[in-house]
This record gives sequence, C-alpha cells and structure tokens, in this order.
Amino acid sequence: MFAFSSPRPPVPEELRASLRPITLATTKTIPLSAPWADFVPGRGLRRGSTVVVQAPAGHGGLSVALSLLSEASARGHWVGVVGIEDPGVVAMADLGIDLRRVLFVPRPRGAWAESAADLLDGVDLLIVRAPSRAAHGAARRLMDRVRERGTVLIVVTEPSAPWPLPADLSFVVTSSQWEATSRLTSRALTVRVGGRGSAQRSGEHVVHVPDTQGRAAS
Amino acid sequence: MERLLALWVEEFATEQADGASLRVLSDLLDALVSVCPFVEPIRLGLLTLPLRGPSRFFGGDQAVFDVVRATVRDVAGVTPLLGVAEGLFCAELAAREGVVVPAGETDSFRRRHSLTVLGRKDLTTTCRRLGIHTLGAFADLEPARVAERFSAPVRVLHRVARGELAEMPEQRDKRLRERLRTARGETERPDEQLGFFGQRSASDDRAQAAARRLRHRLGVESVLVAELHGGRTPDDRATLVPWGAPRPGHRDEAPWPGRLGAPAPTTSLRHPVTVELLSHEGIPIQLGARGTLSAAPHTMVLAQGVRRQVRWSAGPWPMVERWWQAPRRRAHLQVLLDSGEAFLVSTESGAWWLTGIYD
Repeated sequence: MFAFSSPRPPVPEELRASLRPITLATTKTIPLSAPWADFVPGRGLRRGSTVVVQAPAGHGGLSVALSLLSEASARGHWVGVVGIEDPGVVAMADLGIDLRRVLFVPRPRGAWAESAADLLDGVDLLIVRAPSRAAHGAARRLMDRVRERGTVLIVVTEPSAPWPLPADLSFVVTSSQWEATSRLTSRALTVRVGGRGSAQRSGEHVVHVPDTQGRAAS
Repeated sequence: MERLLALWVEEFATEQADGASLRVLSDLLDALVSVCPFVEPIRLGLLTLPLRGPSRFFGGDQAVFDVVRATVRDVAGVTPLLGVAEGLFCAELAAREGVVVPAGETDSFRRRHSLTVLGRKDLTTTCRRLGIHTLGAFADLEPARVAERFSAPVRVLHRVARGELAEMPEQRDKRLRERLRTARGETERPDEQLGFFGQRSASDDRAQAAARRLRHRLGVESVLVAELHGGRTPDDRATLVPWGAPRPGHRDEAPWPGRLGAPAPTTSLRHPVTVELLSHEGIPIQLGARGTLSAAPHTMVLAQGVRRQVRWSAGPWPMVERWWQAPRRRAHLQVLLDSGEAFLVSTESGAWWLTGIYD
C-alpha cells in the first residue's frame, strides 16, 4: 500500500546485460554515414581519436575523407578544413556536408599545425592535409591536443609522405576504378580499414565514392 | 575647459585593407592606459588624454610627452605628432601642427585659424565673399545673423568657433568603440555572421571564437566560408568568401540549365593551370565551331612537360553563354588518365585549362 512497503521487482539478469549508458556512448562518438558506419567499431568516430586516410594523389583520398564528415555535419557538428588548397565546394555539398558549418583555412602559410590547433577549439571534426612530410613533434602535439579537446582529427596523406605516428583508425585506398557511361558516373574504391585496439577487426571493403549522386555508397 | 594632450598618428589614420589601423589603435590604447587611465580613442589615428594628472605624476608636461612618444614608437613603430590645447577641437588642431598651446591662450590660437579647418566648403566660400577668412572673424558674427543665413549644422560650427562648444560633431567616430570591442573579441555583433545561421547554439559560438582567433593570427583573408549559388560549372556555383564578410541574403538553389551533373570534382582550382591535349599524332586538339573536337585526346601535357596517357575522355560539353552579348565559348571535358586519375579540363579561346581534380 505504500511505495516503500513492496520492494521493486529485481531487474532480470538478461535485461541488465543489455542495459548500457546510451547517452554516454553517443556523446563519445561522432556518427558516420551508411557505408562507413558498418566498417567501424561503435559505428562512429570516437572523440579524441586521430583518423588517417591514405591514398595515392588523385585516387580518392580526399573524397573518402570528406565523406566521413557528411553524417556529422548534417547533424549539426562544426567542421574545419585546413591545408586543402582548392576545396571542391559543390562536391562537398553533394556529399551531404552542411556548408554553413564549415570553416576553411586553405592556405595556412607554414603555420598548418598552429592553425589546426587553433581551430580544434571550435570544431568537432578537423580535416588536415599536412604539407609534404609532417614533423614527428608537430604531429604528436596535434594528436595530444585532439585527445584533450575531444575532437576528431582526419589526416589526408599519400603513401609517399605517411603520417609519422600510428593512428587510431586508418582508411587506406588500395585501388580505385572509375565507372563511366557517356561521362564519369561513379568510382569504386577498395579501402582497407584498420586501426589500434578495438578497431582491430579490420578488412577490405569496396565502396563507391562518389556514386552517381555524388555521395558515398557501398 | 580641460587641457587635452592629443596624439595624431597619421600613418594609421585611414582604413587599411588588413585592418592594421584598428589593430594599432587597439594596441596603443592598451599601452597608453599605463600612462593615463583616461586615454580616449577619438578616430582612427587620433587619441586624447587629459594632461593635468599625468603631468603631476611624471613631473612636468615634457616628461609626459617623452613617455607618450616612446610608448607610441614601441607599439606602432612611428612617431606621433603631439599637441596640447583646451577642448578636443583645438587639441586636434594643435596635434596636427605639433604645437603646445600654453594655458589660457587657446582662444587666440583658435581664432588664428582659417575657416577651412571647419571642413565646410560652402561656408568657406560664402564667408570669403563676405571678407571673413579666419575662425576669429567668423566667431565675431552675431549668432542671430548666422542663424538667419545658415543651416543648423553651421550654427553648431559657429558655436565651436566661438569656443562655446569644445568639439565638432563629426570629430568622433561613433562606431569606433563598437569596432574596437569587436576586434578584441569582447562582444559579437549578432549580424556579423549569424543572421545566416538562424538560431545560434553554444557550438556556433565556439566555432565563431575559433575563427576570430585564427583570423587574428593569419589575416583577414585566411578563414573562409563557402557560398553556393546558381551557375553551370563547379567554380561558377561556389565561392569561398572571407569569414565575417557580409553575404547576400538569399541562396539560389534552383536548377540551372546546362549544369554539369554529379559527381563534382573534389578539388576545384581557383586559379586553373594550363595544360595541353594532344592527339595520337601529337597535334594540339582544338574545339571546332560545331562543338566537336578536332581529334580524340591521346596525351595530356601537364606543367613542366609531364606527359600522361589519356585512357578515356568524355565530352566536350560546349556552352555558349550570353550569345546576345560578346559570345563566350567554353567547353568542358572529363579526362581519365592511364594512371587512374580523373580531371575536369575546360577550353576557352584555343587554350586548355585544368579546372578540377576528382581526388
């Protein structure tokens, strides 16, 4: 008859196993869109982590990196783009990136690490193309700052100038193949997804970036 | 009236493209506050401070001048003109001439000046015809006579000439304090960027603050935002504009006839690079009058003579724009190289340009 007189029934054991602090998990990861979410543990990018996208010049590295942003940007996260000299803004819009929340620093003039560090305080995701070969110390400092601020750093590199430190997550484009009718329609990329720790269950996947709509698809 | 020390820094008196004038003024304010807490910015390049207090503190007018000169030289790297007189109007006159008007002599100092210092050409011309050349002669006119002949702003200037008012209304830049605060990041003008974003959130504020810091580090043109509008080619449709610059209110998202479809290149060169397209025989390829190519592309010559084999190409998609004016004949071509890279190239008046990279 009183609320305290009959104790609550205990939570069943199997239900307790399925209960997780949902809000905590979502605030600790930044969401990914469809093809990528299936390849990554937690279906998102963990805050504070560094992601490396590596591809030979002109073989889809930039497309992959930009497509990683689309879901987060559509959900209202701010994005910074540093060191990408002439970003294809239309392609970004086609990928689903909300351009109202993107800050570009195309030519940081030798201060790319400082610019990236400055921008880290204001954005949730940061894409960086480091100049030729990034110094070990600058890379270390930037990654530490990213971990401290809870941002996600996405580094676009080429095999000839790799990122000097191991990343939490890596997307390596191993081959690219354009499909064309009367014009270029889509590009099939073979991407090896790897990383440290929980990202270890990696594999090779074929994704289409861009597809016929300019988006990313499996 | 209080004796004012006016600093005139001619080098930073006009607006500069990179905002240097405002930045220097802000730095000067910070530095001069240690000399006198009542230092006041009037306009770009003009500051005043009351002389009496600092003079007692530093032990004489000359000591104050030395301190102020040294401070400005340290901060701005230039030597200011200093002038002392009673009231802002006379203090500025004194500063521009670099003279110190002794206490009690401001009246005669002002009366000596030509009418042109009031900055009203109509007044100067009319008074010259009446034989009135100096502020003193103008001041001696009866206020009622001036009111009969001139408009209200001139009546105010007449009071300035008579010494009844200490300053002209236009002497102060009324927006200056607001601009200084904005430049220091102390306040945000809500219309600076966010009329565009609709409502703002905490993350918007954080991003704006980061952009402001970065702009301070790298310069006005360094932080950009994107804008989409109508147009046919990717570089027609998108522009990157400096962050914080005023932007047009509407976004034109209507379909545009003749638009190049998706996918769009992920790198869109703002300054296209010249390339050469050669046929199998090594002859440069031309766009014909009917919008066809003279031969199929076989080799693409990039900068520094790098030659690449063309595996496949699509197009050309010709566009004759504004045929009712001087026609602008352009055509686009997608080129896929043997190495697997894909490019968007365009041609206009016989030359080929690399405009986009499908990276």
